[in-house]
Amino acid sequence: MQAATESQAETLKLRSVLDLTAAAPLKAEFGALRGRPVRVDASDVDRLGALCLQVLMSAHSTWTSDGVPFSLGGTSPGFEEGLDTLGASFLLFSIPRE
Amino acid sequence: MDPLASIKITFFQECEEQLAELETGLLTMKDGETDPETVNAVFRAVHSIKGGAGAFSLTELVRFAHVFETVLDEMRAGRLAPDGRILDVMLRAADVLADLVRAARDGGTVDEDRCQALIAELGALTGVQEAAVDDGFLDLDFAPITVSVDVGEEPEPAAAAGLEMAEGAPAAEKLVVAFRPRAALYAKANEPAVLLRELASLGRAEITLDASSLPQLDELEPEAAYLHWVATVETDDEAAIREVFDFVEGDCELSIARVPDDCEPVAARQPPVDEAETAGELDIKALIARATGGATQTAAAAQAAPAAQVISLRDHPARAPDMSARKEDGHAVAAASPTIRVDLERVDRLIDLVGELVINQAMLAQRVLESGLARSSGIAVGLDDLELLTREIQDSVMAIRAQPVKSVFQRMPRLVREVAHATGKQVRLVVEGEGTEVDKTVIERLTDPITHMIRNAIDHGLEPPERRIEVGKPAEGVVRLSALHRSGRIVIEVADDGGGINRTRVRQIAVDKGLISPDANLSDEETDNLIFMPGFSTAETISDISGRGVGMDVVRRSIQALGGRISIASRPGQGSTFTLSLPLTLAVLDGMVVSVGGQTFVLPITTVMETLQPKPTEVRRLEGSVPLLLVRDRYVPILDVGHRLGYRAGPIEPTEGVVLLVEGEDGRSAALLVESILGQRQVVIKSLEANYQRVPGIAAATILGDGRVALILDVDAVISGPTSEPALAETRLLAAG
Amino acid sequence: MSKTILTIDDSRTMRDMLMLALSNAGYRVVQAVDGVHGLEVLGAAAPDVIITDINMPRMDGFGVIESVRKDDRHRATPILVLTTESDAAKKERARAAGATGWIVKPFNPEKLVSAIRRVAA
Repeated sequence: MQAATESQAETLKLRSVLDLTAAAPLKAEFGALRGRPVRVDASDVDRLGALCLQVLMSAHSTWTSDGVPFSLGGTSPGFEEGLDTLGASFLLFSIPRE
Repeated sequence: MDPLASIKITFFQECEEQLAELETGLLTMKDGETDPETVNAVFRAVHSIKGGAGAFSLTELVRFAHVFETVLDEMRAGRLAPDGRILDVMLRAADVLADLVRAARDGGTVDEDRCQALIAELGALTGVQEAAVDDGFLDLDFAPITVSVDVGEEPEPAAAAGLEMAEGAPAAEKLVVAFRPRAALYAKANEPAVLLRELASLGRAEITLDASSLPQLDELEPEAAYLHWVATVETDDEAAIREVFDFVEGDCELSIARVPDDCEPVAARQPPVDEAETAGELDIKALIARATGGATQTAAAAQAAPAAQVISLRDHPARAPDMSARKEDGHAVAAASPTIRVDLERVDRLIDLVGELVINQAMLAQRVLESGLARSSGIAVGLDDLELLTREIQDSVMAIRAQPVKSVFQRMPRLVREVAHATGKQVRLVVEGEGTEVDKTVIERLTDPITHMIRNAIDHGLEPPERRIEVGKPAEGVVRLSALHRSGRIVIEVADDGGGINRTRVRQIAVDKGLISPDANLSDEETDNLIFMPGFSTAETISDISGRGVGMDVVRRSIQALGGRISIASRPGQGSTFTLSLPLTLAVLDGMVVSVGGQTFVLPITTVMETLQPKPTEVRRLEGSVPLLLVRDRYVPILDVGHRLGYRAGPIEPTEGVVLLVEGEDGRSAALLVESILGQRQVVIKSLEANYQRVPGIAAATILGDGRVALILDVDAVISGPTSEPALAETRLLAAG
Repeated sequence: MSKTILTIDDSRTMRDMLMLALSNAGYRVVQAVDGVHGLEVLGAAAPDVIITDINMPRMDGFGVIESVRKDDRHRATPILVLTTESDAAKKERARAAGATGWIVKPFNPEKLVSAIRRVAA
């Protein structure tokens, strides 16, 4: 059944520049998908700032406590590097990968 | 063409434009057109010339432009009205500025006297004579020259050991950096990812994220700061870490602590709860290990990347590494204990509160005393304990602000190098007692006077090498900078082994400048102290080193402003020693409480030399002057404090009151007449300026045990008033006659 | 991909000095001669970092900072102000207006690049 749920997941494609100005829109995008399975596509990310990491982690935690699937699709080198720099690489393991 | 040379040509072209703009602007203003934009344009013209001149190390030009700019800034801020007289001075200054620009461009010289005279005139307009150009503005790249630096006698072997240890141990010192950004950091477009990347470029770094304050999505403010980090960096360069966070100081909480090699870093925080939940059956520890391992890898990568990026700059002449300074650091690293970084405001608030506590405790004690309770009663005994405790808390709180003078002293080797280079002298700087602690506010204000005294010691004190050899001294002169605690004050000495003060010349200059009368009879000590008089400057042409329009009188005034005093001892042929003595703190003061015109006043006890009750035979009256008091064969003017400050219509009879013999910071003494002495006590200083406004003759205020406000006398201001001028020489003549 | 720096300074000497140091360090440089000009070219230049002088005709550095911070497209752009050591009050004012960092004049190329590195993503 899980495969079926995941196939219906909405894809949220992260912008390439996740800076100060991207945090509020990102929160709004996640907010609009609340309650539905989400697959985060990070394959275009060039730059990940701490504010957007906050939104991403908060969303992950919210989806988890809602019991709704939350997964990570493609990741770019820029995204992975951003996670590393911010001490958050564990997300690559703790968020289910698709 | 060399790109810099071509920029220099541009600079001089631009200077011509700015000079034209400056002149036009000043002339427009003279015609009465003083709209802000004209004033701004005039300011910018000078500012711009100064900026470019700084980049090309045109020191004369920078110095003059700086003084000029300071005056224009006053005008721009509306603190100086541009009247005809002032504009005339400015137009003449503009001419000199033009001469300086052309001299810098075409070679040649500028009339030094004219230049100097204008600097003085400009300085007089603002009343600000400290037109010293900031350190670093004339940041010349000096070639390394022969200068050795001794760091006291004792630390030498230990420092060497510290250095070896640092080199011998492959696992370098680790520093733990805890970093908690605030929202303001993000709002100013600073980015933790960038800061952490730069941090990781300093050494292998393990970065741990703390997301425990992160709320669920609907409660999340997208631009608020929830994430915190703890980074363990393999470096011992705390200064480099602070530099990374320099721009965000005030917009984050930052603490840096040292971890011994064999300790696990305290950075290993619990993973955030939500992460632990989602990790499911995965081994959390392994996860964290992998995550932090990953972080370490990027750290290494980040380290390689910046190196590549700045490589083109590496042919820029680098400063010779200062080995002594590094040894010193190594030593400090070995000795330092973990530190935390606290907002100064919080400490100040705490100090303020403790001040209130001290006052409150004193008031309580007074009430208990008044209530007639026996000294042996439980309450009285308890109060005594409370007093001890209060005093201890106060001392401990003050100790938080105490810092070693090292932060000031360690800037001096470079200064010595530069001044030695500029004067062609060989100098060895010996530093002692740099661990001596003093209140932060005092430290901050020590740099300028010490810098000036050291410049002075090298420039005027030490002889040129040839001269030293002639008189049988080593070619290398020694300047000794030391600090120590003495009776509740910090004493800082700057000593040189130069030729000592040339008293004949000093006297001649003082006479020439009209500072003393030609027949004044002065002791050696008094002659030496002439150099502290306003308007005295021994250099015939203001040299670049000690000059800059700042004399020793400015040093003296800045020391006085801190409640300190400065003195000089000089022996011909053997050198001079300047001694600064300063209070350890600016927040409390040991005071003598006196009664004047029905009011209570406090005098800093350090200013009071003795107290006495004048006998009629000791008082001498003189036509047109204040009465004089005979004290050990010298006449000292008697100044009635109540009368002078306007608390009493007329003076009281000297024999009816008590006099306090005080010595002003310029060494001048006076007898302050008050009605009675009420006692001595430590008082907490409350600034009047902050709460009210500056009052002449009054330095600050305090609250006494009975809750009354008492004013703290500014002794210097009181004794330097207009009628206290039976000058030194005159007083002596009277004493002789 | 080299980063773009927008320099805003009314002094040609200073602009040239910045250009020399920045292009030697591998940055692309866009120049503006005052605050108004700086804001005009901001959109097209899309700089990674803005370096601005404070004292300028037409619009000063504070004006530049305030305008950039109010502009939703550019408010994440780091701004470094050029200041002198004696301008502590101006530095504080620039900070309060939203400056990201500062460069003390006269700068050497290393200090300049180090300041950029500490703010440029």
